[in-house]
Amino acid sequence: MPVDTTTQVRAPSSAPGRQRAGKGIHNQTGTGWLFVSPTVLILGIFLFVPVLMAAWVSVSDWSGRGSPLSSNVNFVGASNYAEMLGGRGLAARDFGTAIRNNLYYVIFVVPLQTAAALGLAFMVNKRALRGKGFFRTAFYFPSVTSSVAITVLWLFLFSASGAVNAFLSAFSITGPNWFQDPRGVFHLLMGGGTAPAALAEPGLLGISTWEWISGPSVAMCAFILMAIFTTSGTFMLLFLAALQSIGEETDEAAMVDGASAWQRFWHVTLPMLRPTMFTVITLGLIGTWQVFDQIYTGSKGGPSKTTLTPAFLSYQTAFEAQRWGRGAAIAFVLFAIIVIFTLLQRLILGNSDPTQPSRRDLRAQRTRNTAATTVPVGAVTNSTGGGSGG
Amino acid sequence: MAESRSPGDRGGRGWLIAFGVLILLALVYIFPFLVQVANSFKSDEEATNAGLALWSANWTSAAYTTLFNNSDFALWTMNSLIVTVLVTLGRVFFVSLAGYALARLQFPGRAVVFVMLIGVMAVPGVVLMIPKFLVIKELGIYDSYPGMILPLLVDAAGVFIMKNFFESIPVAVEEAARIDGAGTFRTFWSIVLPMARPALMTIIILSFQGSWNELNHFIISTQSPGLTTLTRGVASLASGQLSSGNQYPIKLAAATLMTIPVAVMFFIFQRRIMNTTGGAVKD
Amino acid sequence: MKIRPFQLGLAAVSALALAAVTACSSGTAASPTPGGAASANTNPVSVLIGSSGEAETTAVTAAVAAWSKQSGIPGEVKVASNLTQQATQGFAGGKPDDVLYVSTDALAGWAANKSLEAYGDQLSNKSDFYPKLVEAFTVDGTFYCAPKDFSTLALVINTKLWKDAGLTDNDVPKTWADLETVAKKLTKGKVKGLVLSHEVQRLGVFMAQNGGGLVTDGAATANSTQNVEALAFVKKMLNEGGAAFNTDIGAGWGGEALGKNQAAMVVEGNWITGAKKDYPNLDYTVAALPAGTQQGTLQFTNCWGIAADADNKEAAKSLVEFLTTTDQQLAFAKAFGVMPSVQSATEGYKEANPTMVPFIDGAAYAQNLPAQRDVSEVLTELNSKLAKLKDGDPQAILEATQGDLQAVVG
Repeated sequence: MPVDTTTQVRAPSSAPGRQRAGKGIHNQTGTGWLFVSPTVLILGIFLFVPVLMAAWVSVSDWSGRGSPLSSNVNFVGASNYAEMLGGRGLAARDFGTAIRNNLYYVIFVVPLQTAAALGLAFMVNKRALRGKGFFRTAFYFPSVTSSVAITVLWLFLFSASGAVNAFLSAFSITGPNWFQDPRGVFHLLMGGGTAPAALAEPGLLGISTWEWISGPSVAMCAFILMAIFTTSGTFMLLFLAALQSIGEETDEAAMVDGASAWQRFWHVTLPMLRPTMFTVITLGLIGTWQVFDQIYTGSKGGPSKTTLTPAFLSYQTAFEAQRWGRGAAIAFVLFAIIVIFTLLQRLILGNSDPTQPSRRDLRAQRTRNTAATTVPVGAVTNSTGGGSGG
Repeated sequence: MAESRSPGDRGGRGWLIAFGVLILLALVYIFPFLVQVANSFKSDEEATNAGLALWSANWTSAAYTTLFNNSDFALWTMNSLIVTVLVTLGRVFFVSLAGYALARLQFPGRAVVFVMLIGVMAVPGVVLMIPKFLVIKELGIYDSYPGMILPLLVDAAGVFIMKNFFESIPVAVEEAARIDGAGTFRTFWSIVLPMARPALMTIIILSFQGSWNELNHFIISTQSPGLTTLTRGVASLASGQLSSGNQYPIKLAAATLMTIPVAVMFFIFQRRIMNTTGGAVKD
Repeated sequence: MKIRPFQLGLAAVSALALAAVTACSSGTAASPTPGGAASANTNPVSVLIGSSGEAETTAVTAAVAAWSKQSGIPGEVKVASNLTQQATQGFAGGKPDDVLYVSTDALAGWAANKSLEAYGDQLSNKSDFYPKLVEAFTVDGTFYCAPKDFSTLALVINTKLWKDAGLTDNDVPKTWADLETVAKKLTKGKVKGLVLSHEVQRLGVFMAQNGGGLVTDGAATANSTQNVEALAFVKKMLNEGGAAFNTDIGAGWGGEALGKNQAAMVVEGNWITGAKKDYPNLDYTVAALPAGTQQGTLQFTNCWGIAADADNKEAAKSLVEFLTTTDQQLAFAKAFGVMPSVQSATEGYKEANPTMVPFIDGAAYAQNLPAQRDVSEVLTELNSKLAKLKDGDPQAILEATQGDLQAVVG
């Protein structure tokens, strides 16, 4: 959403409002609270209170009829969590499978969509390129369509006799029946077959090592492709905005030094894109752990549970299997996973914090603001609003 | 920067190849949508067996007729419109109010509100499905328009967009208005808000797109067929029953139609990108 | 400390909203009572269905309208896009529909949290239902709800491929050995003799034919010799090439495999009629499944559940009785291809659908899949393992299922 960028960039200062607002304005307490109260109330009621209530349900035996706050609902301690995290039963294995599936989804989607977005941004950013607008539109368009519509299209394209396989057959390749194929691609690469005895024992979260190393299933690969298709455009725009703001000064300077195109990219441009990269990866991680719409619309977790994700499992456990406590517990664990991944990424990739762009000198900050503070705001809405593929 | 592309650097041929690759990529991104539209005008049998073809000898609009006559597609569209319009209006108002207060007004608790908003942005939406259902149910607005609309009315990210924008407007204008005796709300409503048109456009676009494409909130806040939105309706079409066959054309027709409003929005928006990128960045 | 007003505000708004709701609901609840006495309850009855398509929706709507005309009580049919989820939300939200389709999978959960009314024993036509269907809707000895209709599995044969292979009506397999032989004969080039879905909802027929079953008399028996033999037989056919899973040949389900002439035989239910819509040229014949040590097939069914919170239970019951009369059952069968759940309609069904007779004859020996609480998750897990049956170990697969089943049924 580049417009956000352009409109936002004009607000680089850290907190000028505080200073200015102090002047000659009195009696702002009432007005201030009046102005923020709708926002605070709605977010409080539909975000804060729900979290508390779900926390209670996750440690209760509420059966799904009547109010969870009524007196006949009992506290059951951490049993819903224990069943899922510690047990060897089906609950633990389903959760383990969902984590495995989603982990592969994250491992594949995040780097690929980041690389694709970066590549597209570089190509579209070429100054001599004609029809820039056309290309930008073409790459960005999939991001604005709803995940439901894209999933419907994907189910069609990747059906057994669908367009993708028809295309492959032109090269004498017999495509798989994508959404029906539960085989893991790493297993396929290893020549299929069965688990060596050493790897077949149940391991972490009740899942055997052999199953952990299966790779994403063929069906999940179709979803991975879809995620790249739908999100690379959004992230391309973030990179484009960043490239535009750093391009002129640095590129020329480096060119004077006689650096080759690759050296310039590797040593000059890429480090300068770090804040944007950070943002893109953060948003990617948050989005990819929340895969729900596609699974709900398309595969419902199948084939053989290989597209089951924690978000869908949580929904299914509560709304279909009527195990509300466990469903809520899954949601909390998923929340924890997202937080942990984001923190880990922050540790690994460094310090830039997209929400507090006020640490370095103003000049550097302007660059970062463009890329990191403003645009992602749009992208966040986009991804949580179900717009992007995850 | 024409001179930077000197022969040794990025030669004509290399550039041509890159351009070719770009065109190929653009095709990859566009082709699925062409396939979608083309197949929505085919017969069930032809779509099932010859999905790749963009041309058919027997065009038919049967899928669209069936969609309107035999499903509640019109009702779904209406529900989506109602919700989207109300959510967008509400968000524009509430979000700019809060953004203004955070940017300009001094009041105790401002910092707490600010931190809360950041915290809220960090909570992943999907995780809230069960909890939101519970609260909506307890409030007695389950399976009603209020239950669908109220929780979407405010968006923390939108508050930030507005706050940032208001901070970029010079205070002098407002001070002049205040000297004339205008109250805070008057100043906000008739002086500041009209100046914020670009940011408001952003809010409108984001919330239109967000609520038009929203799925999981509507799953958990409604059950009546009368309240089904396009996303829920089309998702239910997607998982049809075996005995009714694949019905690809109908599903694709539905997906095509539901994409049109956001596509239109997008193309209007696109022109704005072209006009403003570059210039506006450097204040 | 700035949080105070915020919390207060929250509390105030929640309280207001709750008060408003309570006021509303007590308002509606109060209105019918003033008349007092035994005056008939004329609250409307809402019916939630999970429809297989337009035909079913139209037929149910017409039937409910006919009942309304007769009883003077308004009825409304709603089509759910995801029935279990919507009904679960309805029960949890305290706003359930009065009458709804209930699958065998969902019954145990809703019975456990008392969402459903157990009215089965009060039905005047209780004895007319097939006993096995009554059994499917009985939880802990209580007959909950009237079976709506049912389906069974049979052997569906692609007539063209059958003739091409030089086979006649006399070659229709009667035993497992026959099945193996004809499957091999029919397998040629791209054609597979027998195409199966890798789910217990299909492969379970072999267990039934071998005298097995996943749960027997309430105890888990997944790892019984009969079951292991049954899966071993399927595995053998898969490896010999006579049989294949639909996914191996790129078909979504048996009907698609038949329609594309990739399968000569499939194990499917009476919904096979739907394949004709995608593949109008398809010609098929239905035969009883071959027997192992005995005849065996599986059946699938839904019932007409009545919500415990229904406004007008008497009317709901009268509606269900109306919907399960012989005539109405035959009308449904004609409209959307299901089989009547009442025995008095059997002959009528056979007359109207001579080609489908093997399906309804299956009712005599069909098994129900277990449907205790949480069992459907165990079956899904089993299915995910059956996908790899070709290279898998039947004993190991069933041992794992046995463990899972014991955890939920004991």
